Amino acid sequence: MLHELIHGTDAGWLLLIQDSCSCSGRRLLWSFIKAAIRDEVVHVLSFESSEDEMKEGLKGLPFERVHFHDGHSDPLGWTGGGTAFTVDRFCSEEVTCRVKQSSQLRPAILVIDSLSWILRHHSTPAVCQTLQQLKRGGALRNIVALLHSDLHQLGTAASLCHLATSVITVAAGPNGNEAKITKRLKSGKVLQDEEIFTIKEDLTVIRQSKPSNAVQVQDQETDPTANLTFNLRLSDAERDAKEKLPLPFVFSHQKKAALLNTGAGRGRITYEPDANDDYDQEDPDDDLDV
Amino acid sequence: MAASVNSACKPSTEGNPLNTTSFQKKTRSKILSIPGTRPSVQNGQLLVSSGVTSLDYLLGGGLAVGTVLLIEEDRYDSYSRMILKYFLAEGVVCRHELFLAAAHDHPDDIFQELPDPILDDVAMYKPVEQPRLSCDPQDSLDAMKIAWRYQNLPKVQSALASSSRFGHYYDVSKTMEPEIRQAAKCHHFYLAEHPSQSTATHSLMLHSYSALLKSIEEVINREGFQVAEPMTKPRNILRIGLHSLGSALWGDDLCCRDNPKHSHALTTFLYGLRALLRTSLAVAVVTVPSHLIQNISQMASITRLCDNAIALESFKGSERETNPLYKDYHGLLHVRQVPHLNCLASQLPDHKDLAFKLKRKQFTIERLHLPPDLSETVSRVSRVELEGASMVTSSCGSGTKHLDF
Repeated sequence: MLHELIHGTDAGWLLLIQDSCSCSGRRLLWSFIKAAIRDEVVHVLSFESSEDEMKEGLKGLPFERVHFHDGHSDPLGWTGGGTAFTVDRFCSEEVTCRVKQSSQLRPAILVIDSLSWILRHHSTPAVCQTLQQLKRGGALRNIVALLHSDLHQLGTAASLCHLATSVITVAAGPNGNEAKITKRLKSGKVLQDEEIFTIKEDLTVIRQSKPSNAVQVQDQETDPTANLTFNLRLSDAERDAKEKLPLPFVFSHQKKAALLNTGAGRGRITYEPDANDDYDQEDPDDDLDV
Repeated sequence: MAASVNSACKPSTEGNPLNTTSFQKKTRSKILSIPGTRPSVQNGQLLVSSGVTSLDYLLGGGLAVGTVLLIEEDRYDSYSRMILKYFLAEGVVCRHELFLAAAHDHPDDIFQELPDPILDDVAMYKPVEQPRLSCDPQDSLDAMKIAWRYQNLPKVQSALASSSRFGHYYDVSKTMEPEIRQAAKCHHFYLAEHPSQSTATHSLMLHSYSALLKSIEEVINREGFQVAEPMTKPRNILRIGLHSLGSALWGDDLCCRDNPKHSHALTTFLYGLRALLRTSLAVAVVTVPSHLIQNISQMASITRLCDNAIALESFKGSERETNPLYKDYHGLLHVRQVPHLNCLASQLPDHKDLAFKLKRKQFTIERLHLPPDLSETVSRVSRVELEGASMVTSSCGSGTKHLDF
């Protein structure tokens, strides 16, 4: 399922990558950028890695489609540089304005690295509301964000996961990096999956296998028609004959039409009660002289 | 005081539309006879169906008018949202008015997803369809193979009598048709349309909650749902659905932090809401994402402030999903509170272990019971029977299935 998420084409989702100290999700984030660069314009809002680091990681890719908004060099606006994206500018109007300035025609993909940084300076409800406004506004197609789950209280991380459409939680496992994926479909159904993956040098994601402790439920239905001394199976000719057999009380077309049409008025039985129906309970033989 | 009914007799039933009688029972005193409601058997309260008949049974017959039902959401908000949709769909079928407030999705999106009612004997207001005559015999005869004698009976009743049934069934795989939905009057409150004004935060309530409360109060006053109003025009019930209150999108950090700054915002809102409902002909269903609230005492005070409270726990995503004990169900349902309305003691449900299952045509809530133990360890130790069993298994060859004859 990791592959479908990375190369998915539907719009309007918010994907959250949750990582921790033991396993960083940044390379997975960059592999999302790499997959998206082929078709879309990507805006990267980076507070934790500089532009050079990212160019180093994404080398060999067309970099014109990536618009880098630098939040790394001067996040709190101390040096007063004009182009830096300070963290207090993270609100839906400002981000939409910046996105619309650079990309014109199609809605773009926003990659945020990372939300944890923003959550230190803005309250969680404000960040949630901003993300919701960005998701529903027309300027952005999808949002991918990185969240360091061990930096926040349980409630904060859980609230953000509750808001997100899909959540990938990466952890270090004995065989490699494990990813737990939860995806919410629009119909309300929830899909879950666990995978072991590795990321190669050129940022392609290779799925290795399912983790070994996944319980394989084996459901073998024994065929009741096997190993019998008599034959309970149907051959094709027999099945055809069975289906062609006319059911009882199934009339022909003309008879049905005749029966249905006579409901209109013909054939109605009219009854006028006659003297025999005048039955007196107390005098059944009608011979009392009262 | 919640709206109570004076006499215990049934409200006038408009008879089955198939034999339209105009029978009206003579009532001794003036009672509120609103379509879609009935008096409770236990204490005479006016009850409204919640849309799910098994939930009505659990709550003592239905939701009392003037009360609040709290639903603690399951982890992915699938089943609580479904119950909210059932509640609103029931309002459409009974022709009550609806009010829906949401912060995550636009209320119109939720209105589009209401399930389709299964109406076989109920007349709904549809654009009038003539009963199908046998003018097109071809396709009418091909329609039914076995029950063809019933083909020409009219499918749509042209009478506009409302349903005398309390509680309907819905087909989840289809959505309600737009004509039926638009026949019901809906009000909505979408938080994004009410931008926050940065006024001085001296009130205990957040701006979002106070705007919502004002909006509900304005609808109640404008449309005449207050109990105290003179009974000149036909009365109706307002069904209020509030989706995911307390989540971060409402501006509340109750779910985000262990010591929230606005710890009293939601409780103040619920207090105001309940006060408003007690003096009006309205019912509210509130869903709260309780799995995100870290502080247990907060959840307890929220539960106290609502009249009915149930909690849904779905098996999806938890380790209980693969537990064979739970394989027939989709989740567990816990009844946290039942209301004490004008009485000292209330009717508690007999069983505490309840599980629910969402089927296509019904949301069933059943008592959770252990399945019969048919494993091989339950054996009868007689030797004759063991020999007999081995003979049977060799002839049928059914492997590990244990056939004891």
